[in-house]
Amino acid sequence: MKFRMNPVYKKELKISVRTVRMAMIILGYNAVLALIGLLSFYFTFNYSFNNNIDYSGILQIYLILAVIEFGLVLFVVPAFTASAISGEREKQTLEILLTTKLKPSQIIFGKLLSSISSTLLLVFSSLPILAIVFSIGGIRLFDLIQLMLFCVTTAIFVGSIGIFFSTCFKKTVPSTVFTYGSIILLVIGTLAIIAVSYMIGVRNYDNLYSASSTMIEYNPPGVGHAINLLLINPAVSLLALLSKQFGSPSYLSSLLSHYGKTNTVIFDHWYAISILIQMLLAVVLLCISVRTLDPLKNKK
Amino acid sequence: MLEIQGLYKHYGKFTALNGLNLELKKGELFGFVGPNGAGKTTTMKIVSGLLNADAGDVFVDGINIRKDKKKLKEKIGYMPDFFGVYDNLKVVEYMEFYASIYGIEGKPAKKLIYELLELVNLSECAGNYVDGLSRGMKQRLCLARCLIHDPELLILDEPASGLDPRARFEMKEILRNLNHKGKTIIISSHILPELSQMCSTIGIIQKGTMVLKGTVEEIMQQMNVSNPLLIQVVEGQDKVISLLKRNPFVENIAIKGSNYSIGFKGNKVEEANLLHSLIENDIRISSFFRQEGTLESLFIQITKEEEGEKIEV
Repeated sequence: MKFRMNPVYKKELKISVRTVRMAMIILGYNAVLALIGLLSFYFTFNYSFNNNIDYSGILQIYLILAVIEFGLVLFVVPAFTASAISGEREKQTLEILLTTKLKPSQIIFGKLLSSISSTLLLVFSSLPILAIVFSIGGIRLFDLIQLMLFCVTTAIFVGSIGIFFSTCFKKTVPSTVFTYGSIILLVIGTLAIIAVSYMIGVRNYDNLYSASSTMIEYNPPGVGHAINLLLINPAVSLLALLSKQFGSPSYLSSLLSHYGKTNTVIFDHWYAISILIQMLLAVVLLCISVRTLDPLKNKK
Repeated sequence: MLEIQGLYKHYGKFTALNGLNLELKKGELFGFVGPNGAGKTTTMKIVSGLLNADAGDVFVDGINIRKDKKKLKEKIGYMPDFFGVYDNLKVVEYMEFYASIYGIEGKPAKKLIYELLELVNLSECAGNYVDGLSRGMKQRLCLARCLIHDPELLILDEPASGLDPRARFEMKEILRNLNHKGKTIIISSHILPELSQMCSTIGIIQKGTMVLKGTVEEIMQQMNVSNPLLIQVVEGQDKVISLLKRNPFVENIAIKGSNYSIGFKGNKVEEANLLHSLIENDIRISSFFRQEGTLESLFIQITKEEEGEKIEV
């Protein structure tokens, strides 16, 4: 059977990639990344104290570059997806698409793919710059591939949030506001919920503790299993990935053990489980979007 | 080709379609006429699979559109009352996109696209960006897009709206051409004189109900009965009034000099009898004819009525 590219994806790619703008964005982005990488290199080797070079500084380069890549995916992909369907509505082309042989699922997936492709192109194009860390060691090719795959899954997750709101709203402005609002809620909101719940718990405990007449060990409670809410937070997933790659689970464990308690299986496989949950959420959001887009299923 | 049975659609308390029935044969060019909010676009959207009806059935070439959406989409070509084009694509790319939706790619797609662009007189603009096209050109491009999968039924919502007379004429010619090629076409428009010249049948919808449907000739004949009979008398004016008053089909008479405008409810035979009796009574007549009606006047007459009374033709 002949492979046929999704027509919506093909059309969107044609529009976005053929312009000089895209080439300039790739050039600019990689130039900034390269500058950061080279500066880090320069400072690590030229400003070493007592002639001792701190090779762990090189790992910091990887960390910085990984966070930049993650930030790019987290905040650029929604800009494309939040207008994907609502933009078609505003251009009055959606109705026409729905009368063609295209299924709503093809429209949704074409739009999602094209929206995340441009960002992932930026991410993948920066791979040689990330590979700068190979010159010293400490990071393997597998780690780099893992980081790229993480960027892909994050792009799908945040992209599906954008697509979902873009399908729900007729206009791009509310769709964009709700998409970014949801992402901020996911990344900062979940942490804030845990932190606030923790603080409330500690305050209550402090009141009880001070009122207690017997001498007991001060051991404020955490938020318990509610800490697992962070499984949907892509930033925590990145933390889990980097902790694993650096061979030091201390970043993640200090966060989790300080605020709550989690199952050791979940803790050991936090990265994999969180990605799985985020992908499941993405599938659910995309399925709802497909259903919402289908004119005959959605409205009576 | 198209059968609509008892279609109902409500938007909240507003009734858009109130038991609409319509039947179109293959190869018909049907003009769908009605005031704003009468239910034309709603009907077209339901037939195109963009809206669900609250009740009723629609069959396109025998296919129930609720049951087989895939087949429906192969049979219809829908053109809404707006362009819906991608400005940052070239004309040929725009067509290629829709061709690829129907699995037409490569050389066959190119050949088909150029044939269609030729049909709508846009072959010279194939390499132009859609953004740079005029309204008329964009409209014709949309029509070409509708035809990419060779649909049997074309549903065109206000295809001539906002076009200048030249562009309207071109659109009309293209639609006639398509109709001659066997396409069944539903076309809604407010430009009634053009519809009456172009369409084989016309339906007038009001408040979600079809109040009148028939061939253009049938409709014209029906409306002519309600038009006045105009007589110009050269000699014998003194006898005209008494003679007219005796005729049972004469309802009213208006006189302006030697011109008589008569409300006459009779048919062609009774018209001939009246003319004969006038001549027999030595009245010399220079002209005797029924005032020609236009679709526009009929449309205004029908849509003025508070409640749409169904007139069978």
